[in-house]
Amino acid sequence: MTEILNILALGLLLGGIYALVSVGLNLIFGVIRVVNFAQGEFVMLGMYGALAAQVALGFDPYLGAVLILPALFALGCAVYWLILRPLQGEPMMQIFATFGLLMLIQNAVLAATGGAAFSVNSSLAVGSVALGPVQVGTGRLIVLIAATVVTGGLAWYLNATWHGKAIRAVAQDRAAAKLMGVNVQRVYTISFGIGAALAGLAGCLLAPLYSMTPQIGINFILPAFAVVVLGGLGSVAGAYLGGFIVGLTEAFSGYYLDPALKHAVLFVVFIVVLVVRPQGLFGHAGAEEVGLREDG
Amino acid sequence: MKMDEIRPTSGPAQHAAVAAAARTLRHEAPLLAGVLAALLALTWAFAGDSFALNILATAFLFGGVATAWNVIGGLGGQFSLGHSVFFALGAYMTANLVLHAGLSPWLALVPAAALAAGAAALVSWPVFRLRGPFFAIATLAMTEVMLSLSTYFDALTGGAQGLSIPFRRGFWNMIFVDRMSYALLMLGFLAVCLLAMIVVTRSRLGYRLRAVRDNEGAAQAAGIDVLRVKLAGMAISAALTGVGGALFLMQVRVVDPPALYSLFDVGVKVALLALIGGIGTTYGPMLGALLVIPLESWLRAELGGALPGMNLAALGLVLILTALFLRRGIVGALRGLRRPAILARRPRPAGEAAR
Repeated sequence: MTEILNILALGLLLGGIYALVSVGLNLIFGVIRVVNFAQGEFVMLGMYGALAAQVALGFDPYLGAVLILPALFALGCAVYWLILRPLQGEPMMQIFATFGLLMLIQNAVLAATGGAAFSVNSSLAVGSVALGPVQVGTGRLIVLIAATVVTGGLAWYLNATWHGKAIRAVAQDRAAAKLMGVNVQRVYTISFGIGAALAGLAGCLLAPLYSMTPQIGINFILPAFAVVVLGGLGSVAGAYLGGFIVGLTEAFSGYYLDPALKHAVLFVVFIVVLVVRPQGLFGHAGAEEVGLREDG
Repeated sequence: MKMDEIRPTSGPAQHAAVAAAARTLRHEAPLLAGVLAALLALTWAFAGDSFALNILATAFLFGGVATAWNVIGGLGGQFSLGHSVFFALGAYMTANLVLHAGLSPWLALVPAAALAAGAAALVSWPVFRLRGPFFAIATLAMTEVMLSLSTYFDALTGGAQGLSIPFRRGFWNMIFVDRMSYALLMLGFLAVCLLAMIVVTRSRLGYRLRAVRDNEGAAQAAGIDVLRVKLAGMAISAALTGVGGALFLMQVRVVDPPALYSLFDVGVKVALLALIGGIGTTYGPMLGALLVIPLESWLRAELGGALPGMNLAALGLVLILTALFLRRGIVGALRGLRRPAILARRPRPAGEAAR
């Protein structure tokens, strides 16, 4: 029994990590349907940002977020405006361009750091908490709580604020949103910036948990797409649950089958869901077609 | 292609089709022969320079695989990022047949192609329900699955250590001392891929693939079995890619999962070579490979030594700029020069008919 509880806890904590890493992609790909393969690199930049803030200013990695959020917001806006705006309505070219961006960022960081692995420490992330019979690492628990808070915040933002409504309107029908007085390009740019900032936040919170290498982003990007698509495109809560589905799948298949096969199982499940329910587990029917086939 | 040709047509119609195919080849043959002769002359010019011949051999190999990708990616509009799966299957099949059955690599090419084509048809059958970015993401996920499986089933793949082919020189063993032989081998492979691309482009399958690419719904309404056309295109593309993987194995004589599945080494690279050269055009992917592979080696030598990673960062920048400013690739840009700007501006970048 304790064994199952331990795997369950492991899966849920892993799910928290995936949910947090995916929350930015959820906005960028799930809601506004811009394909961004460089999202994992934004997470990686957040991690290195936390490292830089600690080395240069002595900031705790969690405190580093106050610098990293605006920096990645600005980077996201610039990336959208310079690279993705000209490729609007051409998802395949977006894939190629953001793959190029992925290579550029990953290898620029590699060149800057010389490929050495780094780690940062936070006094908050050490130790563990006992939840019944299960010991839970504090750092991972913080990630789980943050994922929940950020998802709730994003859902509130999209549903309750004028700008959030504008984002959804643009995703549903660009032309109609424009006629209603929404500045479409500004909405896209700001949404992309927020998505990048959320990835940077994830990077800060994950920095104490992982040893950093420039290649770490690529480990996040495919699971993140799996999370967003599994949960349901355009459904913020769905992507949050998608994170836990991915985390639990990985934990249970890693324990009961073989750790070497956990990714195989995960991505087979992903492909099967993608084929059987392209709109995702919690998405509306036809959600996979929204926003990708419009021109202008 | 065969799948398509097996249908009860009356005698005269069949004769007309054969005559048309022969006419096509007569039209295309001079250009193909000219291109191959130029490449042969280029190879000869570097005789004795092992470093240059290695780069040329790699460029020819990836030019061939990018041309194979183009059959389904360019003509069919199905942007697979998972061709490394078929590449790896071809390499592993050949390695096993050579190591455990003592077969000549030349003979192993046939089962390697067959395995890649069969696997492609099997895994693509469900995935072809997806469109655009979802298809691309699913093919990436497929690569991850195969990477895990290849590491896990180490009896067939040698696991993380990989498989190596012992050095036994000889034509029958496809192992040579001089690099010229490898360059010529890969040039032969490129020639086969180009020929296959030309034949498919002008065949009934080629027209159907383009119809599916341009408008799937309209193609279906016109009576085209969309899934079958896509599967046939994918099988041809994968078979050639599997042969490419087998030749890659014989060139480097050692394969391991990271080399085969690393995104920038095979799966994404062949797609981006085609993009840079010109998606859907016959000679575009080859041009892309002939430019990018030497550029890559040069950058690695010039920049990678000083600052590791700078060469790949530069390549990333090239990719971004290509996607932004050269959407129809080098061939598309060259064509645009000869044509009034208003005609050159087409809404669909990949919608250009291949010639």
